[in-house]
Amino acid sequence: MSIYGAAVKRPVMTTLCFVAVIILGLFSLVKLPIDLYPDIDTNSIMVITMYPGASAEDIEQNVTKPLENSLNSVEHLKHITSQSRENTSVITLEFEYGYDIDVLTNDVRDKLDMVESMLPDESQNPIIFKFSTDMIPICLLSVEAKESMAGLYKILDDGVANPLARIDGVGTVSISGAPKREIHVYCDPNKLEAYHLSVEQISALIQAENRNTPGGAFDIGSNTYALRVQGEFDDARQMADIPVGSFEGKTIYLRDVARVDDSLEERTQRTVIGGETGAIIVIQKQSGANSVKISEEVMKALPRLQKNLPSDVKLGVVVDTSDNIRNTIASLEETVLYALLFVVIVVFVFLGRWRATLIIVITIPVSLIASFIYLAATGNTLNIVSLSALSISIGMVVDDAIVVLENVTTHIERGSDPKQAAVHGTNEVAISVIASTLTLIAVFFPLTLVTGMTGVLFRQLGWMVTIMMIISTTCALTLTPMLCSQWLRLNHSHSRMYRIFFTPIERALDAFDNGYARLLGWVVSHRAITITLCLATFIGSVFLMKQVGTEFFPTQDNARIGVSLETHIGTRVEITEDAVRRLDSLWRAKYPEIKVSTYTAGPASSDNTFASLSDNGSHIVSMNIALTDPGDRDRSITEIADGMREDLKQFPIFTKAQVNVGGGRGQGMGGQNTVDFEIYGYDFAETDSVARMLKQALEGINGAADITISRGDYQPEYQVDFDREKLSLHGLNMQTVAYALRNRVNGAVSSQFREDGEEYDIKVMYEPDRRTDISDLENIMVYNSAGQGVRIKDVGTVVERSTPPTIERKDRERLITVSAVVDGAPMSQVVADAQAEIDKMHLPAGISIGLSGSFEDQQDSFSDLMMLGLLIIILVYIVMAAQFESLTYPGIIMTSLLFAFSGVFLILWLTGHTLNVTSMIGAIMLIGIVVKNGIVLIDYITLNRERGMGIRTAVVLGGKSRLRPVVMTTLTTILGMVPMAVGSGQGSEMWRPMGTAVIGGLTFSTILTLLFVPVLYCVFAGRGVKRTRKKLRKQLATAKTEKK
Amino acid sequence: MKSIFIAYDQAHHDHIIEILERHSCRGFTCLGIVQGRGSHRGEPHYGTHAWPSLAQSIITVVPDASAEGVMADLHALDEEKPRLGLRAFLWTIEQSI
Repeated sequence: MSIYGAAVKRPVMTTLCFVAVIILGLFSLVKLPIDLYPDIDTNSIMVITMYPGASAEDIEQNVTKPLENSLNSVEHLKHITSQSRENTSVITLEFEYGYDIDVLTNDVRDKLDMVESMLPDESQNPIIFKFSTDMIPICLLSVEAKESMAGLYKILDDGVANPLARIDGVGTVSISGAPKREIHVYCDPNKLEAYHLSVEQISALIQAENRNTPGGAFDIGSNTYALRVQGEFDDARQMADIPVGSFEGKTIYLRDVARVDDSLEERTQRTVIGGETGAIIVIQKQSGANSVKISEEVMKALPRLQKNLPSDVKLGVVVDTSDNIRNTIASLEETVLYALLFVVIVVFVFLGRWRATLIIVITIPVSLIASFIYLAATGNTLNIVSLSALSISIGMVVDDAIVVLENVTTHIERGSDPKQAAVHGTNEVAISVIASTLTLIAVFFPLTLVTGMTGVLFRQLGWMVTIMMIISTTCALTLTPMLCSQWLRLNHSHSRMYRIFFTPIERALDAFDNGYARLLGWVVSHRAITITLCLATFIGSVFLMKQVGTEFFPTQDNARIGVSLETHIGTRVEITEDAVRRLDSLWRAKYPEIKVSTYTAGPASSDNTFASLSDNGSHIVSMNIALTDPGDRDRSITEIADGMREDLKQFPIFTKAQVNVGGGRGQGMGGQNTVDFEIYGYDFAETDSVARMLKQALEGINGAADITISRGDYQPEYQVDFDREKLSLHGLNMQTVAYALRNRVNGAVSSQFREDGEEYDIKVMYEPDRRTDISDLENIMVYNSAGQGVRIKDVGTVVERSTPPTIERKDRERLITVSAVVDGAPMSQVVADAQAEIDKMHLPAGISIGLSGSFEDQQDSFSDLMMLGLLIIILVYIVMAAQFESLTYPGIIMTSLLFAFSGVFLILWLTGHTLNVTSMIGAIMLIGIVVKNGIVLIDYITLNRERGMGIRTAVVLGGKSRLRPVVMTTLTTILGMVPMAVGSGQGSEMWRPMGTAVIGGLTFSTILTLLFVPVLYCVFAGRGVKRTRKKLRKQLATAKTEKK
Repeated sequence: MKSIFIAYDQAHHDHIIEILERHSCRGFTCLGIVQGRGSHRGEPHYGTHAWPSLAQSIITVVPDASAEGVMADLHALDEEKPRLGLRAFLWTIEQSI
């Protein structure tokens, strides 16, 4: 027995099967974690090699090159980039998407083992480091403090960081901006000299004094006691009273030569929140943990932690990534609900019966909820992609049910019993329902095969829609006939309400049908005009293609702006800070949209993992600005960023400035698009000058903003050149003098001071004001083993030098990257203009310029999607040709694709959107959606012909009778997309182009398809008839001659 | 004994069995799904793409007394749902074993 027969016969089983599916789906939904994007596997591995003391060029030659040569042979490698800077070589291997990173890591490790013996002896073993999105902090907390500032680090470490780190899933919690306590012993060089003492001696003495030593055990009478010497200081002030030597019979105490200062670290990153000094707590998650859940836990813990803190310490939230996730998901959920509502209204208006409407609408929750089972089973999350898939599908899952219900209704009206009608009605349309679902699956299933970044996004979309389509078809073939057999009745009399509401609607629809039939009658008798007009429209729209710009992903408004600023290299942190303070207050006054702004300036301390991963230094400032929700402000994030870029021009102190929409630059999705120009060439001076020329050229291009050159400036520094001969003459060696210098300027950590279970460094060094001058360095006294003092200036000279910057390489060639943010113009335009400028430039020999950044990603994705589109068109053609058993009809139906693409370009041009990855996906989806209309139309026309009608009558009557189903299914799809196309919530930027493209393409193609396809059918069918007649005539003629 | 040949749209099947039972005609031979078309306006029942509906037919031999009643009920059923299609033909049985 057929599946629908069984379903109608056994309503209880059918109902309960679907109830079970819904319960399972809802159960899965509750369990589903929420995230912004589907899991994105990392595709890069970093190899870090330290070679202490080597310069950038040495590193490049001896470490980076051999490593690169060997690593280059790892499989699936896309790009290999490297940075060789003083002491370190960092090689980044970027792989093609979709390969197991663990396997690749092993391959990399094998290659490293092979090459290790070729590296210089002093270089350390290369370290493999996998970067992943998990390292992006999920929460930034701000801490404001006044009186407690001095002890803030300990307060935060004990009171906030440690309790937070205990929350399940939290990775590391780092505190930045709160300096750690440190005990300084500031020595006066003059006094040291006077008493023949050195920093090293003092450091060793403190270490010797600050010590607890166990003395073993000894017996007194019948008892055994432990013996201990407790020499550790209880108070930092005790240190001042240590005798450090004697001079002319008098004891010298530490206080005579030095000052003990119990305070904070000297050089540290300062953090300012909303103009007030404070600290930032950075929370990172463990890999694979659920960001939303963690941040909820953190937010829940905050009030409790706040209670235990001193009253002047206030915790706040700067960035909560889960906020963005929650808002985005909430706005998508709203989109889904609106889509549902629109679809229900359309179905109700067209059918006019609430029972029929209910039967159809029930397929929506069933198919949607069932897809959650897939998500839960495969360990996916509820994210932008999966929710958009729901929104896209709402309009399509009802189509099959509509076709089935319509046919069952016809049977009932003919007089069948509802039960019989349900079985036979479904039987008749089952094949075409399955075929039309197959065409949609032919579109969405290949999406699961896309690779690269685009693949990460659309694989889930492909799976979700495919699964929902299959379920909706199953539903249409089982649940819908069952419900029809139970609920539908032959009912000629309508209620009064029905007559009031639906008589006008019915009349309008009838008028619409008749009008269309008349128009169709006209066009089939004026075929040449119609075909010319339609083709002219298509060709006209092809010209629009040039007007619509292209870009990679639309810029998303996630209410975060990151600004990184650099003053001239080597600028003192106070000067940098003063400028940024003025900038910050200007911005906070000028942009009321700013919710919180924080900035950190200065070098990061070594134990702050998060800060030390990013660029830091006394001349570097990084700002983090959180804006209010996009719905609550008039200016978009890009407008504000534009304003900020303009403001920065008034601050020439910042030699480099970047305003990054979305927090970071060039992170693929979300942020503003960047175009990177890679200048390849070996010679520093030549590439530098080309980079400067290019920067200048780019500044003149409309749409290119924030142009930065990747290569840093030469870093000025002081070096001491020692004369080895003189050193040995004085009984010194290089190491002794080098350490002596370091101990006096940077300080020697002699010992740890213990208090309340915490350890603080005791550092011995020169007074701060005795190390601010070159002569201070030159006058440093070093003692040799004979106790004779020698000044630095006697054994060496202090010289100012600049060290070469970091050497960057990509694919084993040196390069500089000049990168520009695309702003205010389509990316394709900026690239074209820049290319024209580059062509005008006279490049020195051996230097070439290549393009990368979002542009490269876009090119890759677009060519992937084009291939995909072609594959889909072929698949859809095969499905249709199989259904119609003809090669001509699918061709005729496929012509509606031309108008779909015209419609896409037309609407993109009208609304000012660009052609990007999401609108491309919209266009690809159209392939499946648009041909469905053609299938319905041609199917019915051929049916009419088979019933013996003439071509023209078959076309006109077929068109008239299929108009309503076509318009209805089209309207459900279009209206299902409307909330997506006009949505203004967070994250809506991403899907707006897709919704717009589908609406434009579908509307335009439906209107033209309804006229063009029947006309084309007439032409081909007419020719077919003529051909058969001709053949027949020939046969007859030959038969006649044979007879003769 | 009379024989009735009934050809009808398959949607009628359950009703026709019911009519036969109502007249205590237990025996019948269902010829299963058949194809056909009416002589005048009857829509073809071919089970094809163009004419998807299908017919069924039954031959039954009933006592003379029941025959008229069965025919009347079948006629009523046809009148009730004229668009489905139902025809019945009655003739006499000469001999049976």
